[in-house]
Amino acid sequence: MERTNSRTQLVIHLFFVVVSAVCLLPFFLLVTSSITDESEIIRNGYTLFPKHISFAAYEYLLNDASAILRAYGNTFVATVIGTSVSLLIITMLAYPLSRRDFPWRKSLSFFVFFTMLFNGGLVPTYFVYTQVFDLKNTLLALIVPYLLLNGFYVLLARTFFANTIPMEIIESAYIDGAGEFRIFWRIILPLSLPILATVGLFQLINYWNDWFNSLIFITDRKLFNLQYLLNKILLDIQFLSTSDLGGNQAEMIAALPKEGVRMAMAVIGVVPILIAYPFFQRFFIQGLTVGAVKG
Amino acid sequence: MEQTVDAPKYAFPKSTLRRFRWIRRYGVLILMILPGVIYLLINNYLPMLGIIIAFKDVNYAKGILQSDWIGFKNFEFLFRTNDAYIITRNTILYNITFIVLHVIAAVTLAVLLNELKNRFLARFYQSVVLLPYLISAVIIGYLVFSLLSVETGIMNKKILPMLGLGEISWYTETKYWPYILTMVSVWKTAGHLCVIFLAAIVGIDKEYFEAATIDGASRWQQIRSITIPLITPVITIMTLLAIGRIFHSDFGLFYQVPLDSGPLLPVTNVIDTYVYRSLLTLGDIGMSSAAGVYQSVVGFLLVLISNYIVRKINSDNALF
Amino acid sequence: MLKKMLMLFIAVALVLAGCGSSDKSASNAGSNSGSSVNTGSINTGSTDEAQEENDASNLPPYEIVIAFPTSSSQTSGIPEVEQAINEITKKKINATIKLMPYSYASYAQQLNLMFASNEKLDLFVSGVNGAYSSQVAQGSMIPLDDLLEKYGSGIKEAVYAPFIEAARMNGKLYGIPSNRDLAADRELLMRKDIVDKYHIDLSQVKTFEDFGQIFKVVKENEPDLIPLVLFTQISTPVDVIASMYFDILGDRMGVLEYGNSEMKVVNMYETEQYAQLLNTVRSWYEKGYVQKDAATTKDTGPVLVQAGRAFSYIKQSKPGSDTQASRQTGYEMVSLKLPPAYSTTNLITQFLWSIAKNSQDPERAMMFLNLMFTDTDIINLLAWGIEGRDYVKVSGNIIDYPEGVNATNVPYGLNQGWLFGNQFKSYVFKGDPEDIYQQTDQFNKEAVKSPALGFTFDSTPVKSEVASVTNVMNQYRLGLETGSLDPETLLPQYFSEMKKAGIDRIIEEKQRQLDEWVKTK
Repeated sequence: MERTNSRTQLVIHLFFVVVSAVCLLPFFLLVTSSITDESEIIRNGYTLFPKHISFAAYEYLLNDASAILRAYGNTFVATVIGTSVSLLIITMLAYPLSRRDFPWRKSLSFFVFFTMLFNGGLVPTYFVYTQVFDLKNTLLALIVPYLLLNGFYVLLARTFFANTIPMEIIESAYIDGAGEFRIFWRIILPLSLPILATVGLFQLINYWNDWFNSLIFITDRKLFNLQYLLNKILLDIQFLSTSDLGGNQAEMIAALPKEGVRMAMAVIGVVPILIAYPFFQRFFIQGLTVGAVKG
Repeated sequence: MEQTVDAPKYAFPKSTLRRFRWIRRYGVLILMILPGVIYLLINNYLPMLGIIIAFKDVNYAKGILQSDWIGFKNFEFLFRTNDAYIITRNTILYNITFIVLHVIAAVTLAVLLNELKNRFLARFYQSVVLLPYLISAVIIGYLVFSLLSVETGIMNKKILPMLGLGEISWYTETKYWPYILTMVSVWKTAGHLCVIFLAAIVGIDKEYFEAATIDGASRWQQIRSITIPLITPVITIMTLLAIGRIFHSDFGLFYQVPLDSGPLLPVTNVIDTYVYRSLLTLGDIGMSSAAGVYQSVVGFLLVLISNYIVRKINSDNALF
Repeated sequence: MLKKMLMLFIAVALVLAGCGSSDKSASNAGSNSGSSVNTGSINTGSTDEAQEENDASNLPPYEIVIAFPTSSSQTSGIPEVEQAINEITKKKINATIKLMPYSYASYAQQLNLMFASNEKLDLFVSGVNGAYSSQVAQGSMIPLDDLLEKYGSGIKEAVYAPFIEAARMNGKLYGIPSNRDLAADRELLMRKDIVDKYHIDLSQVKTFEDFGQIFKVVKENEPDLIPLVLFTQISTPVDVIASMYFDILGDRMGVLEYGNSEMKVVNMYETEQYAQLLNTVRSWYEKGYVQKDAATTKDTGPVLVQAGRAFSYIKQSKPGSDTQASRQTGYEMVSLKLPPAYSTTNLITQFLWSIAKNSQDPERAMMFLNLMFTDTDIINLLAWGIEGRDYVKVSGNIIDYPEGVNATNVPYGLNQGWLFGNQFKSYVFKGDPEDIYQQTDQFNKEAVKSPALGFTFDSTPVKSEVASVTNVMNQYRLGLETGSLDPETLLPQYFSEMKKAGIDRIIEEKQRQLDEWVKTK
């Protein structure tokens, strides 16, 4: 396919160089501040070019390496299982909703959409997860709550199926005697790699960045996930410096890790996703061209 | 395309024979949706029972079901003062701005990424623009502080002196914050959102472009008359979904990024932060639940209206 | 379409109805499960059980679940501590314990979830961050009077009686304070090397206004040091010093002025005294004595001093706080105290031990609480962990970390002895004065008792006003009290906003409750 001429290409590249700088600089700031000497941060703020480099923050994390590795493991397991299962459930729900001939299409879409607006709040959700189903302090508690999260991805996937897959393909396959599931598995999914990659990536990020489920459902420190370890510290610092807790507040605050450590934890939390990302990008090509199937 | 939904004739089959045929036709599809439907029933609908908490004077000793009903008393704090006006205004204005700018920024990124010939660099840019989304709001708050701090901030110490300008007390001056928050929000979200539009663009049948090229259409013309119209359904759905949550806001953005600074509240306070601050010490789950119900009901009404309008224009793009 | 939606909703409603009933049965099951104990109802606590008090073998085994907040990540050593405690408690009360540490930030939420879903919970720390009165109002805990009478003789001996009484609400006890600093004065903590270097004569500094002279010297001679920073974001100089003049009666919304015998609730923000404090701080701010980022900074005073960026901070004080500050900042710190120390309800109800309404065996919970105040081994286990692993004895009752262990890698590093019952019976950590606990005890007992000591405001009747006023305070308070906002124009605005938000209703209600309390006292 013809693309734009090279001058336009250059302009677009320049645009992206600027955009990338805007996105990368704060991240570099994060990385450098995690290796800046603690007092230097407090005296001069963050800097891209620290005068004194110190790996104390990472050494501190190594101190508790087993806890961090375990948290990585929990996050990893929850992310892999959660993302795969949720992709399956989401697409299986979204596909029938995308079919214009599916009888309950509109009302079911509404049924899905409604969950995006109303939720009962934390208390009943907690009740269901801990009392009706005994998920407290299990790995499942890190997986199940985010499987569909809410209807967002279902409706997104539905829109993609409806707009990228011509009804004729489905009809002709049906006439050729293919079953619905076979059509879904053999034709629809391969044609929808970009949206699968999109939803998969989003769910991956949701699972990877999740700390709330760990906060709410996990008290066993063996099951904490990675982002919880970081967020617990961040939230505690905020809470302790904005609450009135009397004479022992100084000790409580002193017990919390320093700024460099927080930055280091943020860094080690982001890196794995960056590594996983290119994997998803591979699917941002049109799976099979629709034309090929039609032909 | 113009054909309207023909669902009703399947919905309540008049004869058993027809029902049987109907099951045979759609049985598998129904089986496919079952896991999702059951999940939503348990994970989302079952806890909705908890909405009653908003109308209760919660007493744990009695248990939630047995607690006294108090009507709309839990909602009062939301509407007592003229804060109600300020937080509602802020929430809606910010959200409208965000909805528009997010879509524009994300679509621009996606279209331009798709134009690039160098696939390797395109992928690199795509990863980089996602980065901001991966950083937690608290940390973003730290990073913004490192720019704007009065004593050590890069703005006050390096950039403003270079421009010959005096120090600015960023965290007490309300006038800058609508822009700062909008910039941070777009910075954080655009790269994430552009993935969706990119997927939509990639999904467009290439035959359209080939035909257009043969007809001598320029790239710009192709973008305007093929790409944009074909991703309009996705843009519409994203907008509708965002409208449904127009009374909710990104708590981290409005609470963590301005560092909870009091003087900024007139421009940073949104419903979510207001509720959080009000109830921090009261710890009243009835009141927080009431706030949630209020946000949801308004969002629901707005979405019904918008969906109605969308359906009038093009029923295929509507949500339901 | 409408019809179909209706059908769907009916289906959902059916599911919900099913949930409604399973809801009840589940919570019933919850309250019975996990316990073979016939609880005996809470208030009637039958007499024959009282007689069994000291005879462990007659009690069925029971696990006491204990929830408390901590900011420490050093919790990996908890299981061994539990085990060591269980060995003692099995013998004494045939019970085992389970410690449930929660992060401070999520603690209140976690408690609400546990109460709402009736999860197993026996003892917990109530009150954290001003929650005591709402926790009582929401029925989260049971009254302790009878239990304390029967099983808490050790507690009554260990804790100074007026402090136990101070937690009374609506005539009943819902929580018991740990033995810690239960009174407070206030201090300016300064770097001693700087004070010495410029021969600052601290004996000449008598009042808050006088602090300005010290800051002036520092500002003129040490351009890199900020003379005054905040201890934490919320403990502003004005707020700390205001405790010399006012009992904040829980939430600062309507306070009691000391020396006013009428027991009249006033709006602190409208008093002359408060305006004067604001003006002082504002003038310091304008002269550059106060940290400019004070209202937003995330760095605490000790951290700023440690990094060599700040000279001093003002905070609430207690015995030994200067050695503590020296340890935290790495500089020798000198303290300038502003007496008198007051003991107020707030300081006591900040951290209380309560028995959850979820508890299936409140008697046993109280027995264990009693041990937390009397059994030296349990006290030291909870405070410092396991000897040899978490600490070693240096001499007498002084302890230190073992070889190769420090604050960042000690397995049990909660460091919250002040929270777990009777700290006064625990070891003293090296560096603190050997008689630190005697000093604290004396400090508590000698402190001036606020005339409202024992009064806890129940904000339930005016909670929507409280929510609104809280938001107004968030907008103005820190800015004004750190000097970064100009009181001249903004203080009047602050009042009028507060009035609109309903401060008068709150003060009126508070006055009514206070009058009632005075009558029944």
